[in-house]
Amino acid sequence: MTLQVKALSKAINHQQIIEDISFDWAPGEIIGLVGRNGVGKTTLFRTLTNQYVAEQGQVLIDGQSTTRHPLQQRQLFFLDGQYNFLSNYRLWEIPEFFRLVYAQFDQQRYQDLLVQFELDRNSQYRRLSKGMRALVNLILALTSNATYIILDEPFDGLDVIVRENIATMVIDEVADQQKGFLISSHDLNELDGLSDRVLLLKDSRLVQDYHLEEIRETAKKLQLVFNDKTIPAVLKEHSQLIRVSGRVLVVVITHYTPEIDQQLRALNPVLLEELPLTLEDLFRANLAHDTGYQLMK
Amino acid sequence: MHNQLDRLIWRRHRRLFLALGALALFANVVMVIIALSSRQTAGAHQLVGASIHHWATYKGDYFTAYSYWLIFVYWLAGLLLMNQDLKDNFNQFLFTSGFSRQRVYWTKLRQSLVVLLGISIVTIAVQYSLYWLMKPHGVSFTLAWPGLLTSWISGLAVATGLFAICWFAALIIGQTGALIVTVTGFTLSLMSVGAISQPILTNRPFSLSGSQLTWLVIGVWLIAAIILFVWGAVLYQHLSLEHNGEYLMVPRLKRPVYLVFVIYVTGIFSWGDTNWMADVVTFLITVIFGYAWLWRPRIGERLHQWRARHDG
Repeated sequence: MTLQVKALSKAINHQQIIEDISFDWAPGEIIGLVGRNGVGKTTLFRTLTNQYVAEQGQVLIDGQSTTRHPLQQRQLFFLDGQYNFLSNYRLWEIPEFFRLVYAQFDQQRYQDLLVQFELDRNSQYRRLSKGMRALVNLILALTSNATYIILDEPFDGLDVIVRENIATMVIDEVADQQKGFLISSHDLNELDGLSDRVLLLKDSRLVQDYHLEEIRETAKKLQLVFNDKTIPAVLKEHSQLIRVSGRVLVVVITHYTPEIDQQLRALNPVLLEELPLTLEDLFRANLAHDTGYQLMK
Repeated sequence: MHNQLDRLIWRRHRRLFLALGALALFANVVMVIIALSSRQTAGAHQLVGASIHHWATYKGDYFTAYSYWLIFVYWLAGLLLMNQDLKDNFNQFLFTSGFSRQRVYWTKLRQSLVVLLGISIVTIAVQYSLYWLMKPHGVSFTLAWPGLLTSWISGLAVATGLFAICWFAALIIGQTGALIVTVTGFTLSLMSVGAISQPILTNRPFSLSGSQLTWLVIGVWLIAAIILFVWGAVLYQHLSLEHNGEYLMVPRLKRPVYLVFVIYVTGIFSWGDTNWMADVVTFLITVIFGYAWLWRPRIGERLHQWRARHDG
């Protein structure tokens, strides 16, 4: 069982929003999707789910195209947080729609989760706060029991306690390897704790597909202080500058090799210390427009 | 599967269907009451004229065999059924639901037409019953199949044709206000088309009789409806929702729509007019108005950019 995205492209008003996007997604995986604002994350989701007609490419679920075999789309859940049809309905009415589409929709669990999160079943969706709406969307995603679940900024507007509950639920859902999540979020700390894998979108394209365990083995985040004020060539060539504080440099080297290590130590730095590498560091390292050194005077 | 989709669409639109049914019933009941109260002062002995025995559409002073309100309800239904799903983002749910778009389109259309037919039958039954029950003492209410059948078929054909026009327009137009203006304008323009075509068809070389004209009009409405339904199905298959909010949901239709608009409007206003100067002015106004209407976001955008540069 797998979902394959193959060379998916979408242009809007003659402007390429996503271009040649390809990746595989299997149940049991939690994939993070990150990128700068406006890079096309939501467009990718809408194109994946056939709301937008793709110019090129296709989405295959178990080897079958979702456009030729629309029934396969029921394995894929995406509810647009910004534009959805729920506004005029009360929370108790909403499952009537979803259970007609998702055969495994768990109505009892939906009701239980409403009670757990103290959501009034008689409330109209549009009258809920932004955070509560996000919570309802998430409850619907979980209770749909679709194999592949897309969540677009799911933590937006949620308080810390609810975030933790949700993160725990997502992790529990994938435990039996029957479901997979594709989550876009600007909250990189939250995503860091959840994802096994991260896709990075930049300039309409998928520029990186990181398996976080693997990248943490090859990449290093270093804190360095040199006697000299000039930036060594080895850093300019191989690293991305994350932060500067006085003469303290924090850099990320995505392919840290023994040769680079040797070159750095040969410079006799005053301080060379390894720091824990976070998703935010990878985000900065990959998606900043320049290496960061250009900004230094 | 079919049953699930039917239930989904019914669940989505049942309130709208109910509202349309209530509107049709209420309007017709009021119409009957007004007709009968005006009838009481007139003092004739027949509610229905003798022409009800002819194979022609019946429309008398006090009795209408197929109410205009029913036609209006079909018109409104075509508009709302398509536009609401776009504006309320229900199309997104339908497009991700796993039902093929073709199946969604035809199921929605079939269900809508069946419900509207049901509304027509109930409304006509209630309307005729009210005439029968509320007719004044000494006044007869006599009906005949030729006039009734022709009126019903004609009424249903016109109603279905108008439903198809609104349904199709609401499918390709992504702005509610502009949709209402466009469809209302087009519907009103059809009266001019009728006024232009009637003398052409009833005079030589066609020389159609009243009855022949009625059946020709029925045929034209039904064929137009079928063409619009099938064309709509083709467009629905390729509808991409990023165009929601734009005037045309299908950008490649912009130029054909512009061309048809210019020819159609100029034709209507210039027909039979011997003043060529007025025709040229009509043509130019149509050309400019059509361009501004269809490309106005771009014009507005450029104006905004020009102002920004000018102010800067």
